[in-house]
Amino acid sequence: MTAVIPRRISPAAFGKALDAFRAIVGPPGVLDSDEDRQTYIDPYALGDGLDHDCSAIVAPASTEEVRAIMRVANEFKVPLWPVSRGKNLGYGAASPAEYGNVILDLSRMNRIIEVDVKQAHCLIEPGVSYFDLYRHLTEKKIPLWMSTPGNSWGSVVGNALDRGIGYTPYGDHCEQICGMEVVLPDGDLVRTGMGAMSGSAGWQNYKYGYGPGWDQMFFQSNFGVVTKAGLWLQPEPEMTAKIELAFPKFDDAEWAIDLLADLRRRDVIQHNIVFGSPVRAASVLSQRAEWYDGPGAIPDSACEEMIRKLGIGWWNAKISLFGHASTVKAQVEIIRKLFEPRIGKELNFELWEQGDPPDKSARGIPTTMGLQSVNWYGGRGGHLSFAPVMPSDGKLILDYARKIKAYYEQVGQDYYASFTIGRRHVNNVSLILYDRDDAAMVTRVDQLYRHLVTEAASQGFGEYRGHISYMDVVADTFDFNDHALRRLNDKVKACLDPNNIIAPGRNGIGTRSA
Amino acid sequence: MSASGGVKCRPSRLLAAGLLLATMAGCSEGAQHAPAKAQGAAMMPQSQVVMFGAGSADEGERLYGQECAYCHAGRNTGTIMLGRRMDPAQAELHKRTDLEPDYVKAVVRNGLVNMPPLSRVEVTDEDLDKIAAWLARNGPK
Repeated sequence: MTAVIPRRISPAAFGKALDAFRAIVGPPGVLDSDEDRQTYIDPYALGDGLDHDCSAIVAPASTEEVRAIMRVANEFKVPLWPVSRGKNLGYGAASPAEYGNVILDLSRMNRIIEVDVKQAHCLIEPGVSYFDLYRHLTEKKIPLWMSTPGNSWGSVVGNALDRGIGYTPYGDHCEQICGMEVVLPDGDLVRTGMGAMSGSAGWQNYKYGYGPGWDQMFFQSNFGVVTKAGLWLQPEPEMTAKIELAFPKFDDAEWAIDLLADLRRRDVIQHNIVFGSPVRAASVLSQRAEWYDGPGAIPDSACEEMIRKLGIGWWNAKISLFGHASTVKAQVEIIRKLFEPRIGKELNFELWEQGDPPDKSARGIPTTMGLQSVNWYGGRGGHLSFAPVMPSDGKLILDYARKIKAYYEQVGQDYYASFTIGRRHVNNVSLILYDRDDAAMVTRVDQLYRHLVTEAASQGFGEYRGHISYMDVVADTFDFNDHALRRLNDKVKACLDPNNIIAPGRNGIGTRSA
Repeated sequence: MSASGGVKCRPSRLLAAGLLLATMAGCSEGAQHAPAKAQGAAMMPQSQVVMFGAGSADEGERLYGQECAYCHAGRNTGTIMLGRRMDPAQAELHKRTDLEPDYVKAVVRNGLVNMPPLSRVEVTDEDLDKIAAWLARNGPK
């Protein structure tokens, strides 16, 4: 008997469901002891994380097992919280939005089914991590590159499904998905795009198929469990060039973002550009107490010290260029000509050519370095991301950053900006770092986040992604025509998943009261 | 010892920082602040960290490379955090000489400070036994 039972079902029914799960995946694939469940508590939880505790974990090894699990879950009305690898750190990791769900852990489904070298795509299962895919490509000497996110510990498919990003031309991860296999809530199995044909020869070559494209329905949702996905990979270019631009003043954000966003729209810069503040750099390299150990938000004087000691700017943007040597060299010249007069010094790009060591290149190499930032305050740390989507307008972004920074200072949290400049938008990302065992800080962070989301919504800016504790908070801000989108989502949910067994409450869909 | 251009700082903590900056800051300015001394022996580049243990005849080493090295080898988050509270020369886990198998297993299953626990789905008990045995190969007998 477990200590936690899913809502609305009896302990006896839950016991029977677990037995049925064991019959499908084998006893080692079902975990329900306290010791095992605690390995799934969100390591960045605000507090102890027990408010998002699961009741058990079931770990299938194949699509057929997922289908069988779905049928059992319907029979016993057991809600399942699917995770690809459960490393969605900063958004709840493996923990369910609703207390007591059974985590459907797809980590064991980690096959790289196919890599097509010439066509530059692969077909993978959700348990494949960025490290797995990189190792595979390297071991097989396949000249295809992948984009990697700041935390590469997680699943390639899972990150794409939550619309995570990376920093190469393939960095809009959801856009690289081409064709999916999905188990629906009733256990039916569907393939999207050209995969809808039995014997399809172009599943990973064309995204849309015939008729409506359902793929987006399975991103940031709970309408199915993705068991395979096609992913486009980047053919190794002839040359890359990279540089970190440092803009010395806070107000430089206005012109710098306008210039960078224009280069991004024109595809001179082909990747999402990170535009980060001093605490962003310092939190990976050091701890807060090395700069400031007083109360309240870190003062500007400490940030100035970071700028001096770390040789960075108030804003820092890593730029990478990819392509044929002649193109890359021409683009380097364009960027030098645009930025050198304004920055007042020569820009020395690091060039990579085929055959050079991979670390010299601008390719994505998986890393967990970014996780270092959670040690900023000391103790068991975590981070929460406030990330409103805004038009890529320099003045708008700067004014908003100023306002957000002032609010951080008012409540006493250190301001950490990490904007992402996309094709037409800027994600005005402010990371909120905290010590999860500092109760007062956790309360402050919760208030700060709620305030920021509400305030941004009042200006017309919405979040691009949500944390399990705030899925309804964010969903509520998408309120056109009295929350018409939410009504639509809930109608689809009720139709496909009448028992609400897949991730109730994910992204505010099918949320149930406690 | 610190090469931070006369600015006072705590060398033990900023050693790793300066080293990182040398790679992070593509512009020439960052290089001026690189420290004179690396954290312990020279750190392997990330492309090698990712391939740690690949092809090793020792399954424990191979599994360590697959399940642990991404944080605990090279200039990665486990190395940096451990380097803050112990001899930087042994901050990479595979260089430790004080590890015992039971300790390794307890930390993996329970987590430690900022290290999250790893589940028995992610690393089976059988694989963890091999990893722990390999990490303890230079430990107290």
